[in-house]
Amino acid sequence: MATGPYRKRVGCVNVIVSPEGLAVKKIEKISQPQKVWGWEIAVYLFLAGMGAGAYSVGVILGWTWNLSVLVKIFHVNFDVAKGILYGGPLLVAIGAPFLIVDLGIKERFLYACLNPRTSWVARGFLILSTFIILGLIVFGTSLLFPGVDLRGSPFWTLLEAITLLLAVSTALYTGILLKSVRYVPIWNTLWLPVLFLASALSTGSTAIVLAMMACGLAFPEAQELLVRAHQVASLERILILMEGVILAFYLYTTYRKKEEGEVSVRLLFMGKLRWLFWGGIVFLGFLFPFVLELLSTWQPDQLILLLVTGISLLLGGFFLRWAILASGVKAKHPLHKFLELRATLGPSIPKGRGDLTR
Amino acid sequence: MHGKVLVIDHEKCTGCRQCEMVCSVFHTGASNPSRSRIRVIKWEAIGLYLPLSCQNCEEPFCTEVCPAKACHREAENQRVVIDKKKCIGCKTCIMACPFGHPFFDSSERVTVKCDYCDGDPQCVAFCQARAIVYVDADRIPGPKRKEAALRLITSMRPPL
Repeated sequence: MATGPYRKRVGCVNVIVSPEGLAVKKIEKISQPQKVWGWEIAVYLFLAGMGAGAYSVGVILGWTWNLSVLVKIFHVNFDVAKGILYGGPLLVAIGAPFLIVDLGIKERFLYACLNPRTSWVARGFLILSTFIILGLIVFGTSLLFPGVDLRGSPFWTLLEAITLLLAVSTALYTGILLKSVRYVPIWNTLWLPVLFLASALSTGSTAIVLAMMACGLAFPEAQELLVRAHQVASLERILILMEGVILAFYLYTTYRKKEEGEVSVRLLFMGKLRWLFWGGIVFLGFLFPFVLELLSTWQPDQLILLLVTGISLLLGGFFLRWAILASGVKAKHPLHKFLELRATLGPSIPKGRGDLTR
Repeated sequence: MHGKVLVIDHEKCTGCRQCEMVCSVFHTGASNPSRSRIRVIKWEAIGLYLPLSCQNCEEPFCTEVCPAKACHREAENQRVVIDKKKCIGCKTCIMACPFGHPFFDSSERVTVKCDYCDGDPQCVAFCQARAIVYVDADRIPGPKRKEAALRLITSMRPPL
């Protein structure tokens, strides 16, 4: 039985507790979410991931289905089915400026590609730029020239394969960018790129479902897309389940990894980010859509259920990025730890004689 | 390691924050500690103060992650510095540094770090407690480093 004051963790705070059980001294600052990279980066990660995931799923579905739905707008024929399947680069192009918005000096954004030898930001700049340019070529050609059948052409197949590879690289890159920060334990794990890839595929397929539903409802000639939307939704369920399992593994391994990894997970579970985690990720990203999906299997005609499920899943995907970004607590350096330990344990630790340079 | 480094003795630090003040005046012309290149972490409740500055690491991670090559090691005197004319303000180096050193200057919109005041660090000149010294990295004696390591090991042992 403890006879003197002892150390106890209360939430994200370490305190010295008196034998009577009263907290007598706070010895560590409350762990705060990191604020260096804010919501702009979260939006960028989300849109880049979703766009890359949508393109990856879309290209594979395009190869499988050879879907073509023509819609006449202002006397011009558009292949909306192909436009939806290959529309991912558009989302990435919308997301990329958010990275520029976060820069201190925005007009210097082109400098961000000067050090691809060691910097993942520079590598990402090159990957995303190439993907946006090539992807928009595929998207524009498929949407605007429905009469031209490019399937089977070796050049087109090669272009699709290269852009697919770039899309997967973009989805992985959003995780690798954070993983490369080696002193933040919750980011510096291989599970993070895997989780972001899974989330990119699930949010991407959700974006395809929503776009198909919107087109199917807007144009009477595109009714087939409503049927296809249900087929993509069944694929999406598997991806979401996979994402949930990976998220659980990711958090478990981070919790067991290092002290700061544990602090980050505590920050998510019971700290300042608990609303973002439980409300944004667990409820909006998994539980609520799961219930709605169940209801929609009984009521397949109720398109509103599928619509709300999709929006909820997208919000969940965004909150996932935001929460993981905000929970990045840096590992303390040894002297910092030493001082905290000395403060905690008091006189049992010998004091140094001071000047290291004597 | 080559070149001179700032060595901080936290046990001498009184937490007066004079170093922050003179640093901000020297670099920005304003007496504004939030724009200083040195920061003092304070545990007021237990009277501990830890000034943090650039450690001039042998393999600096900040130079590795900088996408614009603004953060680099000078060939001449081996100091790790940030070229403000190249910095895009992406804050990657801030996230990368394990010592929490580079800081974002919201007035200039770039990341700034200790540049050793061109060889005459003002924090050293004005620290009355002589908690900060500027010495050759090779002159930090081994036994003292060992002593610090031993103190750390002792501190990790559970109390009796």
